[in-house]
Amino acid sequence: MAEAGQWRRPQPIATSFTEEFWAATKEKKLVLQFCPESQKFQHYPRPLSIYCGRRNIEWRQASGRGVVYAYTVTRRGPPEFHGREPYIVASVELDEGVRILSNIINCSVEDIRVLMPVQLCWEPIENGLHYPLFEPAKR
Amino acid sequence: MSDRDIAIIGYAETKSSVQSGRGVYDIAGEVVAGALASAGVDIQEIDGFATCLSQTEATNPFWSPTLADYLGLELDWCQGVDLGGASYLGALARATQAIRAGDCRTAVVMGADAVTTTNRSRMSAYRPEWQWPVGLMGPPGTFGLLTNRYKTEYGLDDNALAKLAVVQREHAILNDNACDKLRKPLTAADYLASRVISDPIRLLDCVMPCDGGSAIIVTSTERAKELGIERMIHPVGYGERTNYRVRDPLVDILDGGHSIAGKKALANAAMSPADIRMFHPYDDFLIAVLLQMEHIGFCGRGESSRFILETDISYRGKFPINTSGGQISAGQPGLAGGGVNVVEAVRQLFGEGGPRQVKNPVNAMTTGIGCIPYIRNWSVSNVMILAAP
Repeated sequence: MAEAGQWRRPQPIATSFTEEFWAATKEKKLVLQFCPESQKFQHYPRPLSIYCGRRNIEWRQASGRGVVYAYTVTRRGPPEFHGREPYIVASVELDEGVRILSNIINCSVEDIRVLMPVQLCWEPIENGLHYPLFEPAKR
Repeated sequence: MSDRDIAIIGYAETKSSVQSGRGVYDIAGEVVAGALASAGVDIQEIDGFATCLSQTEATNPFWSPTLADYLGLELDWCQGVDLGGASYLGALARATQAIRAGDCRTAVVMGADAVTTTNRSRMSAYRPEWQWPVGLMGPPGTFGLLTNRYKTEYGLDDNALAKLAVVQREHAILNDNACDKLRKPLTAADYLASRVISDPIRLLDCVMPCDGGSAIIVTSTERAKELGIERMIHPVGYGERTNYRVRDPLVDILDGGHSIAGKKALANAAMSPADIRMFHPYDDFLIAVLLQMEHIGFCGRGESSRFILETDISYRGKFPINTSGGQISAGQPGLAGGGVNVVEAVRQLFGEGGPRQVKNPVNAMTTGIGCIPYIRNWSVSNVMILAAP
């Protein structure tokens, strides 16, 4: 069994149409795909607008604010996460009207709640990139 | 569909087991030979073939024709179905459509998998980029999200899940094909004390993978009569929905495609939920059974716990659920898992349920659930109603 602290976040494997997302994380910016025709965001990134079926996608910066739509506390994770458990995985509903799967950090597993307001924070990963995480909103 | 023009005339199922050491072609041979014998038809009669994919043979891009070659089948219609856990029922539905369209006359529908002996499937798509980095624990993780949301919106009585676990286990003990590893009595206290994997999903909420398979023979009712076959049942309603509300980024994850598929199947059959004699739902997780009951309309949203607690869901009862033990207590033979529920529906309607036979088996509803998308619930929902002549 791995010692606490030895866990390692698996690096995301980017695709040809998600380069903008990961490039923006170098500057700790969360960008989302936006369809100008339907005026709607979409996430996860797609190869076209799921609303109008055209490849007219723009990337727009998100506020980083949202609420926990649903969560689970992982008691025994995939091998890379051994030593990290228990940790919180959540579907975060962003103010932009999309949900993103992430971890809620700086929050005990006893305190996590559905509808809890959360804010964006970042964890450095390889090649100067960052992974978007969330923590309880400070307000 | 309710005109009973299509007939299911035979079936066979292996005993499920963990790390059987068997090849998937061996399992396929056993179930196809068994189904032909059960129907009383020759191999020459078969000109249609539909199979679930197999995790064991997931890297083989030529799966369905190769498997059919192993089985000695010369075909006018051949199809591999890749709808995940909805594949088995989807394959049966596609075979009925092919027969009705005249593409083939008599088809074998089957699934075989030896996933606990050899698993060559590899998940990809959104997972390496959007799921693996946050450590969501596969399907138990997704169902954990779903269940916590359910608890917040409706409240959830764990005693209902415990009752479902215990009754399905009692059924598995009466099913010789169920995995021996699971054929041990289970109490509500055992269920409630089982280890939490991904909050609030317990170990005993989840299916256990195993090796196994099953097959069904389906033809037109007219052809069955020509062959002198008397024992038959009929698919009388079917509905299927893939990617329910995929373009709604704020979709209610407690709603699902079974609301559409169930309504369509019931309309096809000119039935209402109250007309359904028994229910054999796809059960990868216990909570999935509760959600499907709500989606299909056996009870209202948020009312499934109460429904389960107030109803005799055993094979003796008013509304029997998964009388084979379901996949939760009989085991999940990989991508052939849907067959555990579907074949039990056929077996019960043939009156061959043995010690767990449902009385007055006039009809049965069976379902499928396939694939897990990015933070919704499941991708494919299908529902079929089968009826005695």
